[in-house]
Amino acid sequence: MSVVDRAAAAAGVPTGFYTLVKREILRYVRRPKNTFIPPFITNVLYFSVFGVVLGDRVGEITGVPYILFILPGLVVLGAVSNAFENASFSIFHGRWNEYIDETLTSPLSYTQMVWAYLLSSALRGVLVGTLIGVLGFFIIGGLYQPVPVEQPLYLVAFLLVITMLFSSLGIVGGLLAEDFDDLTMMNQFLLRPLVFFGAVFYSLEDLTPLLRDFSLLNPMVYMVNGVRYGFLGISEVDPQLSLALLIGGTAIVAALNVWLFKRGYGLTD
Amino acid sequence: MSQSSPALTIENLRKEYDDVTALDGVSLTVPEGSFFGLLGPNGAGKTTFINILVGLVRKSGGTARVFGHDVEADYQQTRNAIGLAPQEFNVDRFFPIREVLEHKAGYHGIPAEEATARADEVLKQVGIYDKRDTRFDWLSGGMKRRFLLARALITDPDLLILDEPTAGVDVQLRRDLWELVTDLNDQGKTILLTTHYIEEAERLCDEVAILDSGQVRAVATPDELKNRGTDQIVVELREPPTTLPALLAGDDRVEAIDRDGHQLTVTARNGGLVAPQLVRELDGEGIEIVDLEITRTSLEEIFVEMTRHDDTADNAGDDDSDGENGGDNDTDEPLAEQQVAPDGGQR
Repeated sequence: MSVVDRAAAAAGVPTGFYTLVKREILRYVRRPKNTFIPPFITNVLYFSVFGVVLGDRVGEITGVPYILFILPGLVVLGAVSNAFENASFSIFHGRWNEYIDETLTSPLSYTQMVWAYLLSSALRGVLVGTLIGVLGFFIIGGLYQPVPVEQPLYLVAFLLVITMLFSSLGIVGGLLAEDFDDLTMMNQFLLRPLVFFGAVFYSLEDLTPLLRDFSLLNPMVYMVNGVRYGFLGISEVDPQLSLALLIGGTAIVAALNVWLFKRGYGLTD
Repeated sequence: MSQSSPALTIENLRKEYDDVTALDGVSLTVPEGSFFGLLGPNGAGKTTFINILVGLVRKSGGTARVFGHDVEADYQQTRNAIGLAPQEFNVDRFFPIREVLEHKAGYHGIPAEEATARADEVLKQVGIYDKRDTRFDWLSGGMKRRFLLARALITDPDLLILDEPTAGVDVQLRRDLWELVTDLNDQGKTILLTTHYIEEAERLCDEVAILDSGQVRAVATPDELKNRGTDQIVVELREPPTTLPALLAGDDRVEAIDRDGHQLTVTARNGGLVAPQLVRELDGEGIEIVDLEITRTSLEEIFVEMTRHDDTADNAGDDDSDGENGGDNDTDEPLAEQQVAPDGGQR
């Protein structure tokens, strides 16, 4: 029995819920080549190409070097992608190979099942987001200037809420998917466009008024600006409003998850 | 653990998939502590029935209670009382088998330390402890079956459900599993067994239900079912007379009396009870008996008779969701075993 097991038991965390969270976390932690190495490599490339090579030509945006401007967006991209992919894969792979039956035939409540998948996937998003942040600290700090964290509480709050939101969406995706192609479609044709049009690589001020208003319909704009506010203390939308909207959205999708589990959508015949 | 209600109380249970009826008003009661068999051809609804109990299939109507708990309203209590060894290999492939067992125990609220001890115990019980650090995919077919049983036992369930537990395993393993589940039943666990092997049901079960096209055709002990069939009393006579006297006159259990040379064949229900009277009457007529043999109707014959479909279209209700066409075929199937496939096909 590990120290963590003992701490969880002492804190009164229900054993069944704790076990499912632990199983989900162990699944990706034990596979670093799949979980941590790819985002590490990808973001080294992002920082090199967009930050160093192109960044010097772009100059400054909203008063900060371009490479520093895109750091929060890259953190969001890595965090939400991993949260979404982990939740959707875990649910769908379990359905595909039917080992999710081990969970479904247990006395865990539907709410416990959902929160176990949700929290473990959100944690993966937070870990990958942190990895990218640390990478940025070293690259940007070494080449340009130290990376500030102007609003640490906001940074933590936004990171938590955006990973939970995308974990919840990932659960929906995992339940809706009929085959692995559907998961790829969701990632490539839904998640990626939202991120790339979510003010990761540009400022909203660079857009026409019409496109700017249109961009405000994209939830990614609020996420990127929220995390940017945490790092740099600047945001193009009200961070408190962003946080409130994201918390509300997360609550709605999480409630949808529980409802789908209760209904057995994608899980039972 | 002791429960006061029957292990299963099923009333008018129905399951429909679009226009296919998988269960058509199933009602039965399984007493606590019994060894209950569920027999039926492919697509009869056996796996659908089981999956409703554990929450993998949603019923369309009727009620199903496990030790008095409704499978939907009290799903947590229901699922905690059941250990299921399914027909399909639905096992977590990411972890070694001991860890899979620890996780399953944990989901049922068993603390980590106790879960590890129990995992070791059940792996020893089914004879694959030395494979504890191996992942499921690397086990042989027989070991996979043993593992499914271990996983069903890890939570110490009151009701153990075995869905075709010996499908595709060799004779030795089959007998090992029989011995193990018999011991478990002797210790008080209620066991619900679905099987194609009539010998298995006959040998193990206190009571069996025959399910066909989603309906229960009969619920009885194996002996009671066999008594519903006809037996054959074959008597070898030393010097039979040219014309036999009227034998067993008025006995309504007798269906036919045939003679072929020195051999007399009486077809009757409860042949064991008719034979003494036959011997007395032959003796009274001074006819000497050289040999006498009673052939009882096998449960297999009763089963085939009850589930026979004159029109094969009756099997239109078969559905893959019953899972009986998707089992493993990676081990040799002993042809000598009594396997019933009324549709004439190979599983």
